[in-house]
Amino acid sequence: MSNTAIIEIENLTKTFKNATEPAVDGISFSINRNEIFGLLGPNGAGKTTTISILCGLFPPGSGKIVIDGKNLHTELSSIKKIIGIVPQDIALYPTLTACENLEFYGSMYGLQGKGLKDKIELWLNKLGLTDAAKRKISTYSGGMKRRVNLIAGVLHDPKILFLDEPTVGVDVQSRNVIIEHLKEINARGTTIIYTSHHMEEAENFCTMVSIIDHGKILIRGTPAELISNNAGSTNLEHVFLNLTNRKLRD
Amino acid sequence: MMSKLLATVKKEILLLLRDRVGLSILFIMPMALIFVMTLIQDSAFKTMNEKGIPIVFINNDNDSLGILIEQGLRNNDLCSFNDSIDGKPATAELAQKAVGEGKFLVGIIIPKGATKALRKNVTQLVSETLNGEDSAAIKLNQLQDSVEITILIDPVAKKSFLISVTSNLREFISEVKTKIMFQTFADQIAEVIPDKKNTPKNTYKKSQIIKYKEIYASRSEDKIVPNAVQHNVPAWTIFAMFFIAIPLSGSIMKEKNEGSAFRLHTMPTPYLLLVNGKIIVYVMVCLIQFLLMLSVGQIFLPMLGLPALVLGNSLLGIFILTLATAFAATGYGVMVGTLATTEHQAAIMGSLSILLLSALGGIWVPSYVMPEVMRDISAWSPLNWSLEGFYKLFLRGGGVADIFTDALKLFAFFLATMAISTIVNRKKRTV
Repeated sequence: MSNTAIIEIENLTKTFKNATEPAVDGISFSINRNEIFGLLGPNGAGKTTTISILCGLFPPGSGKIVIDGKNLHTELSSIKKIIGIVPQDIALYPTLTACENLEFYGSMYGLQGKGLKDKIELWLNKLGLTDAAKRKISTYSGGMKRRVNLIAGVLHDPKILFLDEPTVGVDVQSRNVIIEHLKEINARGTTIIYTSHHMEEAENFCTMVSIIDHGKILIRGTPAELISNNAGSTNLEHVFLNLTNRKLRD
Repeated sequence: MMSKLLATVKKEILLLLRDRVGLSILFIMPMALIFVMTLIQDSAFKTMNEKGIPIVFINNDNDSLGILIEQGLRNNDLCSFNDSIDGKPATAELAQKAVGEGKFLVGIIIPKGATKALRKNVTQLVSETLNGEDSAAIKLNQLQDSVEITILIDPVAKKSFLISVTSNLREFISEVKTKIMFQTFADQIAEVIPDKKNTPKNTYKKSQIIKYKEIYASRSEDKIVPNAVQHNVPAWTIFAMFFIAIPLSGSIMKEKNEGSAFRLHTMPTPYLLLVNGKIIVYVMVCLIQFLLMLSVGQIFLPMLGLPALVLGNSLLGIFILTLATAFAATGYGVMVGTLATTEHQAAIMGSLSILLLSALGGIWVPSYVMPEVMRDISAWSPLNWSLEGFYKLFLRGGGVADIFTDALKLFAFFLATMAISTIVNRKKRTV
């Protein structure tokens, strides 16, 4: 395994109860430090299952996972301290204000006092939410909720940040702000693992991409490599459709 | 770890304060229940005592027995005496119809010649006794001429209530019969033994051989009188404390549905710490509920003319039992929230199970009137352990030692629910 890799996965398999086929079928890959790694695939390909296992939400069926030199199976609590997650669904308390939500989630990562307050203030300011900081989340627009959802995942400066469709359902302005700040976070040393159905966004944002389907990794490389290695493809979306075919997925 | 726990507690308090419906379930509903249930029960007793039970009386005897029973019933506060039905003199047929229609709760028919038959029985008894006949023969003769007083009962009236009413009436009629028998007996003796002619005729009236003195066997230094307040305040307070399972399980389900639980599972915070934050807040809510219910019993109910709640001798006992009940109730709420898969399911599971446990626990109907099988089941309801404990403190004047086992059972129940919740939570995540 590589010394520069921050995540190393060997022969990862996961079959859910009552399922006939594995959701993840013996995949192996590594993610280097400071990469923006895109895990792309159609619905039901195995992206969310892989990310959920890496975040410790449920255990793998088999295989070995090492994150920042720590074995996921034996050192999960240490791993949880260095990862952040921005889930696809808004994971905030609607009746609490943005400040109250962020104070709570920050505290769960061990942040407290003035340090926590300053970080919240800084991030709310960066993402244009200072004026709405004392408003309940239930009064926010979709884009504002996404921005708070992002802050909750990055407040503790994680070494690794998992993003599951972070810009889904938001307007162009909010999307640009989010992507811009994610690049800034990456520039400060955070490795990003990103899933999306938005191929253009992935092409511009990711430094490395893997396409997954039916629980198997089909291809891996930089977006430019993937486009040039697939004859007739002019963008990542063409590569994606060629590899995963055009059949509709559930 | 402490700062994480404090943050969880703060978050729970904020969530609770902003859930107005949940708050009303927690505080207003149980207070309303205590008011309504206590007032209804108290006024039911008052109505009975003030107006009396409607009784129709048919005196076909028109002699000493009938007249004495009639006089007694007319002067008895328990009864509202009637000897006519819709303006017509009451007859056995009319009485049966009227009681059947619910116009009267009870009808009493004294048969024709009842006094004569009674006297004849006594005379026969005296002469047979003095002539030395054996007791079996005497009993047979007595049965042949026994006086049969008919008591008609409204079929709609509740059996437990009727048992108390009819046993009171039977006791009264039996006393009148005994008086007449004693008098007849004295007259007969005086005839047989002329020396005893001057025996006072009202000896029985003056000397009551057996007297009853009713004392509540409470150890309290205060005079605890069992009444609707002493029974209802602890019962409905326990019910309210366990009703916390609904908002608590709802809060757990909301966290799952709103995605917060998902995020929390990825954080370096143990499940038990997150649950403990909820438990601390909801135990505090239970304690506040209890104080509110006590204030209802001690301050507000007396304002409505009801007796004030008497707390008994052991404030420490009350605190320990309340704390144990609060932990049991919150543990149960966490378990319901963990077992349920939707918010709707948690609400139904929580409310129905609490209703069932409270019915089994003796909150609605005292467990001592339940059939044996139900009593055995009742002994497994945590609400029953709590209720029994509070009755020991509030009615029997008990102390910490008396409620120790009840409190221990409640704490054990809490630990069991937490163990189940932890195992189920772990299992649910092992998909």
